[in-house]
Amino acid sequence: MISPAEVLSTLEMLKNEHLDVRTVTLGVSLFDCMSDDLDRLRAKVRRKIERLAGRLVPVCNEIGDKYEIPVVNKRIAVSPVAIVGAPFTAADLVRIARTLDEAAAAVGIDFIGGFSALVEKGFAGGDRPLIEAIPEALAVTRRVCASVNVASTRAGINMDAVLLMGQVIKEAAHRTATEDGIACAKLCVFANIPQDIPFMAGAYLGIGEADAVINIGVSGPGVVKKAIDRAFAADAGLDFGDVSELIKRTAFKVTRAGELIGREVADRLGVPFGVVDLSLAPTPNIGDSVGEIFQSLGLKSIGVPGSTALLAMLNDAVKKGGAFASSSVGGLSGAFIPVSEDLNISAAVEAGHLCLEKLEAMTSVCSVGLDMVALPGATTAETLAAIIADEMAIGVINKKTTAARLIPVPGKKAGDHAHFGGLLGESVILAVADNDASRAFMRLGGRIPAPTQSLVN
Amino acid sequence: MRKVVISVLGQDRPGIVAAVSRVLLEHRCNIEDVSQTILQSEFAGVFIASIGSGLTPEALRAHLEQALAPIGLLVTVKPLEPRRGAQPPASEPFVVTTIGPDRLGLVAGITEIMADFGVNITTLKAAFRGGDDPRRNIMIYEVDIPSAIDRQAFRQALRDRAAALGLDLSLQHRQIFEAIQSI
Repeated sequence: MISPAEVLSTLEMLKNEHLDVRTVTLGVSLFDCMSDDLDRLRAKVRRKIERLAGRLVPVCNEIGDKYEIPVVNKRIAVSPVAIVGAPFTAADLVRIARTLDEAAAAVGIDFIGGFSALVEKGFAGGDRPLIEAIPEALAVTRRVCASVNVASTRAGINMDAVLLMGQVIKEAAHRTATEDGIACAKLCVFANIPQDIPFMAGAYLGIGEADAVINIGVSGPGVVKKAIDRAFAADAGLDFGDVSELIKRTAFKVTRAGELIGREVADRLGVPFGVVDLSLAPTPNIGDSVGEIFQSLGLKSIGVPGSTALLAMLNDAVKKGGAFASSSVGGLSGAFIPVSEDLNISAAVEAGHLCLEKLEAMTSVCSVGLDMVALPGATTAETLAAIIADEMAIGVINKKTTAARLIPVPGKKAGDHAHFGGLLGESVILAVADNDASRAFMRLGGRIPAPTQSLVN
Repeated sequence: MRKVVISVLGQDRPGIVAAVSRVLLEHRCNIEDVSQTILQSEFAGVFIASIGSGLTPEALRAHLEQALAPIGLLVTVKPLEPRRGAQPPASEPFVVTTIGPDRLGLVAGITEIMADFGVNITTLKAAFRGGDDPRRNIMIYEVDIPSAIDRQAFRQALRDRAAALGLDLSLQHRQIFEAIQSI
């Protein structure tokens, strides 16, 4: 028999703490769609996505109903298009992006990831055309997301690719200038990109993955914040050990809920279950913020001294709870601090508590990086690339994933507001301390070598 | 070997189960299943026991009454009958929870819908104490929902009835509670 306390605790998480499944992402391999005939490739891609994902949305909704736990987002991640479309030109690859967009619309999902290239050690045939195609592909589609892995701990940092991405981001912003450069919100630059991320914009299906797979992202930060608030209301004398234990237990529960639903969706769709991504992913809604957790734990705001230590504890406790709950943990699995997607973080920037440099410091102890950071439109390609290079260095040296999703908002300056809408949110534009001070460095070219794996200080 | 069902009801106090089981032992009855609960100050217990061929259910009741009546307990004993009719239909375990202020007819209102859909209640725990604490105004039904029924229609009918009764209602597969709450 289930005890009333267990029932009430579960209901409390559902009704008042926004327990949900943040995303169910279907990975679809496109390797068997390859062709040197563009139209044939596009037709095969569309057919395969519609065949595998046709029931994704209704099945997720049905299983969400069964447990009364909503599956908020349903998404698709495909094989890196730079490989699938290796024989083609940038213009051809834009047409593939349109096909992905149409297929996503046909199956009723809001984002499809995988317009991606992996270039940490160098450029293969399709890589440069894909990177060249990114600005147009993201400007002419609504649902397609792109990612480029430019660095890894084993390969080092491909600085040519980093510079190229600075230029691509500028161009993508320019092409969507009337929407505050929204194309950049669908583009991530990575170090150590995992093959099984379920979250956008970084989701793609890795080349070592199965033909189709379900990966899921668990509930957001609201559950953790409410659990902390309730615990302090019951006992004001909690210390860091108590708080860490509480976060661990909460992460355990949300991971269990997520995995249960993910496995059932996978079963119903007849595809293998992949991983649970433990990441705390905020949305621009009150009560669903990573930033609010900082205030619940006694900091005036995210960004003030103490923030990096708090984030390190939060990230670690989430991992411990999640790793105990599931043997299939993967993806990014950390806390996200996306500025525009988290009302509280955005407000911290506006109030002057959080700057670009502090954000960068915090990314050394969490996933995933400088995420949804709006910058002045005048930020040069070289400066954007240099900011990316710094972020990649943090990932490469610390053997972790880092990413940059930077939006140089055309025509706007530090302190202005950028509006991206929906889940992408809005943000005040952060200042870049020294624009155009990195040009000569970024023009050196080549690759920063892979770091030594000993001498760990 | 015959089996009997024994129910014992009365004001709770230490020693009730000891008194019942002592009588059963004295008459060489083997207890197979027991469940007991206490509601407010009242004890209720149900025992299933096998009895030897020399003992009738009526005689066992008389022995039990003799021991238990002096301490204020009511006893019934009946033969355990084999299940009548077909086996229960294939079903899935769900938990229905309602939270909301007490009023007349809450249990009747919700269980009427369950009965209409052929949904069997396997465990029920409910408390109505007034005030704002949900733990004091709650019904938790563990039910088996036949796989053959339209679950969406059942969910909707339950929701409509709960709304009419001023209750918040949840209908969730039991597995979610096990997944979240147990290791």
